[in-house]
Amino acid sequence: MCRPRPRACLLLTTLLLTLPVWAAPQAAEPSQARPAPRADQSRDRVPPPVAARGREVDADWILHRLTRPPPQSTPFLELRLSATLRRPLVVSGEYRRPDADTLVREVRVPYAETTTIRDGEAVVARAGRSPRTASLARVPELAALQGSFGALLSGDRTLLETHYAIEADGVPADWTMTLTPRDARTATRIAAVVLRGRDDELRCIETRPKQGDPQPTLLGGAASGAGELASLDDALRACRDVPR
Amino acid sequence: LIRDALLQRPGLRLALAVAWLVVLLLAGWLIAARLEFSGDLRRFLPDARTPEQKLLIDELGEGPGSRLLLLAVSGDAPEVLAEQSQALHAALASDDRFTVVANGADTDLSAFPAELLPYRYLLTPSFDEMPLDADALRDAFDARLQDLGSPAAGLVEPLLPSDPTLETLVLAEGWAPAAAPQRLFDVWFDRAGERALLLVETRAAGFDPTGQLDAVDTIRGAFDAARGDSAATLQMTGPGAFSVDIGGRTQREAQRIGLADTIGLVILLLLAYRSWKMPLLGALPLASAGIAGLGAVALLFPGGVHGITIAFGFTLIGVVQDYPIHFFSHQRAGLSPWKNVRGLWPALSTGVIATCIAYATFLFSGVDGLRQLAVFTVAALAVAALVTRYLLPGLVDPAPPDIADSPRLQRLWHRIEALPRPKWSLAVLAAASVAAIAFAPGPTWQNDLSKLTPVDADAMALDTELRAELGAPDVRYVLVAQGTAPDAVLAATSALRPALDARVADGRLDGYDMAARYLPDADVQRARQAALPDTPTLRALLDEVLVDSPFLPEAFAPFLADVELARTAPPLTLTDLHGSPLASAVSGLLLVHPDRATALVSLSGLDDPADLVALAAQTQAPGAELRLLDMKDASESLVIEYRGRVLAAMALALVLLVATVWIALRQPRRVWRVLLPTLLTLLVIVAVLRLAGVELTLFHLVALILAAGLGLDYALFFEHAGDDRADQIRTLHAIIVCSLMTLLVFSLLALSSIPVLRAIGSTVALGVVCNFVLSLLVARHRAAIDAARAEPEPVA
Repeated sequence: MCRPRPRACLLLTTLLLTLPVWAAPQAAEPSQARPAPRADQSRDRVPPPVAARGREVDADWILHRLTRPPPQSTPFLELRLSATLRRPLVVSGEYRRPDADTLVREVRVPYAETTTIRDGEAVVARAGRSPRTASLARVPELAALQGSFGALLSGDRTLLETHYAIEADGVPADWTMTLTPRDARTATRIAAVVLRGRDDELRCIETRPKQGDPQPTLLGGAASGAGELASLDDALRACRDVPR
Repeated sequence: LIRDALLQRPGLRLALAVAWLVVLLLAGWLIAARLEFSGDLRRFLPDARTPEQKLLIDELGEGPGSRLLLLAVSGDAPEVLAEQSQALHAALASDDRFTVVANGADTDLSAFPAELLPYRYLLTPSFDEMPLDADALRDAFDARLQDLGSPAAGLVEPLLPSDPTLETLVLAEGWAPAAAPQRLFDVWFDRAGERALLLVETRAAGFDPTGQLDAVDTIRGAFDAARGDSAATLQMTGPGAFSVDIGGRTQREAQRIGLADTIGLVILLLLAYRSWKMPLLGALPLASAGIAGLGAVALLFPGGVHGITIAFGFTLIGVVQDYPIHFFSHQRAGLSPWKNVRGLWPALSTGVIATCIAYATFLFSGVDGLRQLAVFTVAALAVAALVTRYLLPGLVDPAPPDIADSPRLQRLWHRIEALPRPKWSLAVLAAASVAAIAFAPGPTWQNDLSKLTPVDADAMALDTELRAELGAPDVRYVLVAQGTAPDAVLAATSALRPALDARVADGRLDGYDMAARYLPDADVQRARQAALPDTPTLRALLDEVLVDSPFLPEAFAPFLADVELARTAPPLTLTDLHGSPLASAVSGLLLVHPDRATALVSLSGLDDPADLVALAAQTQAPGAELRLLDMKDASESLVIEYRGRVLAAMALALVLLVATVWIALRQPRRVWRVLLPTLLTLLVIVAVLRLAGVELTLFHLVALILAAGLGLDYALFFEHAGDDRADQIRTLHAIIVCSLMTLLVFSLLALSSIPVLRAIGSTVALGVVCNFVLSLLVARHRAAIDAARAEPEPVA
């Protein structure tokens, strides 16, 4: 529990609310190893030939694909906007799942920061500062969120559905899964979490807060393949569009 | 002429009695509408003399510990409890009766008035060690960039332009309770996560049971609304909740006992006089006395009548119930009621005058509540005696059967007269009583007022538990700085912080709170102003620090403006805080009067009070006086002083009582016969109580006065009956009825679970038995006894 620093606690709470999303397993293998993307798979795509479109995906299909044992890691890339900044802030680094119970968010550029979630605790370590710790167990809504993502990772749809309404859409080569929080308190902060991917690769997580701009987190091939992101639109496009 | 009409027309008599009752009800209703009730216990305390007593009475009745209520909501899922906690918070926070309502939800700085926000640079200690220079700014901007890169960016970003060092957050963190409980679903919960916790500070003083009752009722009402149909329950502890609880229990128990008494008295009067009119007629003087007493107090004390005055007063005037009884028992065919009452008047008036004079000594006790009690009882006793003398004779049946003719009573009287009466036995009784009083083990006096109003063990345990969970301050100890100016006392408490922090760090203290945490004194604020850079300097600093950074220097114009405002504004004072969320926190800990100021440091989990006494003595505090106040000590010293005054008043009362009886009876032998049973009874009561291990309280003392008054009446009437056999039997009947009634009322009180009622009940019940026996054996004329013994016992 972040006893002496309530505001720090709030920061961490918010951080944790969105962080576990990155716990989604990622294959370390380069995306180039995957089948080449088809030209017609963009958001405003023209209908593909029937043979190429494949079957429509459902949540079970996606969950089954995402399930993978640790250790795993995946690069990530995020973009932040502020009137106080000369240009958008692009943060990149790596998400790691060294074992089934640990999740690490490591920022490498433009600064070094490591957040480790393990044993119900989140530790934020920044270069040159003493690490700050927050306990998840004291915040059951976070523990529930943790549990729900545990469900996502282990492919336990029943458990996942106790926390979120799940909606799956798309085809194997370009799918989305929308998680809408059922818990009223979480729902006051987060409208939805949209997962986007191709086959067994989770490429982007778009967190849609109740207020403000959507927050895209590019993962895996989407992160490493993203070029210069100059605006939120660039980032959202990179998140939503499967490369041609 | 009127008397003849009354004597011949029973219907008229009854109609007049009913009319009297109606007038009394009407008067009662009128007075009740005018009567201002005051619940402030301080009116029942003597004037404070020592600085500690002054603090206790003048300041701490409004101090933080005594106004704090600890709330726990349990019995449902944590998220439901959290919602109820929020709803309760919302309902109470907007209520004027509460100064602080905290449930752990984040201190919302948006509630902090915008015009006060720039003052954060005067309130924050961030730049005391290291100034707001290039290094500090560089450090802050580095951290802010990482905040922007974190998932919490949305929270930090809006604050950045005016507050790149996040001083608002630094202050919010600093202001959070030192040892706050864990938070689930944004609100405080206990360690087990089963009870949502809230802290509420009432505006009403801890000494104000009416205000506390209002606060507790409001909280219960708000909780019922917040709960809806959930199974959750609310538990409440703290001095206010306890006083409301014990007050409610005392009232319920007193009402139950009162009901039983009323039924018992009606039955007793029916049995004693075999007439259904007697309970009505017997109640009229008592009711008139009560109304008269209330009226007198309402008239003379427009500032409000204390609830305790009323409760005590009605207990003490129970003695007037005896007046009509004597009258009824002597009424018989052939004797005009007016003649009858005239015959009784010397004994009756002597008793009433003596008791009134005794109570009148309370007028000089210097305690407002006791003065009210004196006015109430004197007015009530006088009115009861006068209506018995002048109104009641017109209403009774003039020719009831003569009680002296009852064979059963005659036999009883004869047997009593046959009892041996060795004179030495009284000397032995007196000596034994004095010895018992002198040598009984254990303390004689009970100074701890809380023992009289005991909180049950469960509630006490809950209080201890919640206090520990919430880190709520100790009720007993508080560090106090007193001085003439707010700044001096703020600085004095502020100087204690390093020492207190050290004690918190090594566990000798769990935590503390003081106004200086929120509002530094003016010198500190001025020093911080002097250290702040002016606008050109700060702009140059920003340009220098941000030259290679992702941040835009121009975006931070609001920051420059805020710092400039803070640098040039007059220092913040308590009055500036009005209406801000800080005002309530500060005002409970900093009490400002035109000519003096008091700053309090509330302490929680204090292990060694002596250590803090030494700390207070060592700490240099120019313009202020520091001390550790032990509220228990201070309140006990008040009790001791209070008792001193009551005892002095009682001693004076005793002298006056003896003098009155002496003047009335004139002959030393008669005076002796009347006073001996009363005085001996007082000795016996105290001896029995002490032998039973009872520690005496103020309530015992007040009850002793009542017992003495009763005893005096019994003795006066026995003595007054003289040598006449029939009159002796009638008096015996009257006193048996009187003492049975009083015994019934007070032995029920003596069985009560509430110590205050038990103290009064046991003392008076003992007094009644002892007075009855001793008056019967001692107060009578020796010649009458000898004559009776010569007669043969009557047969049935």
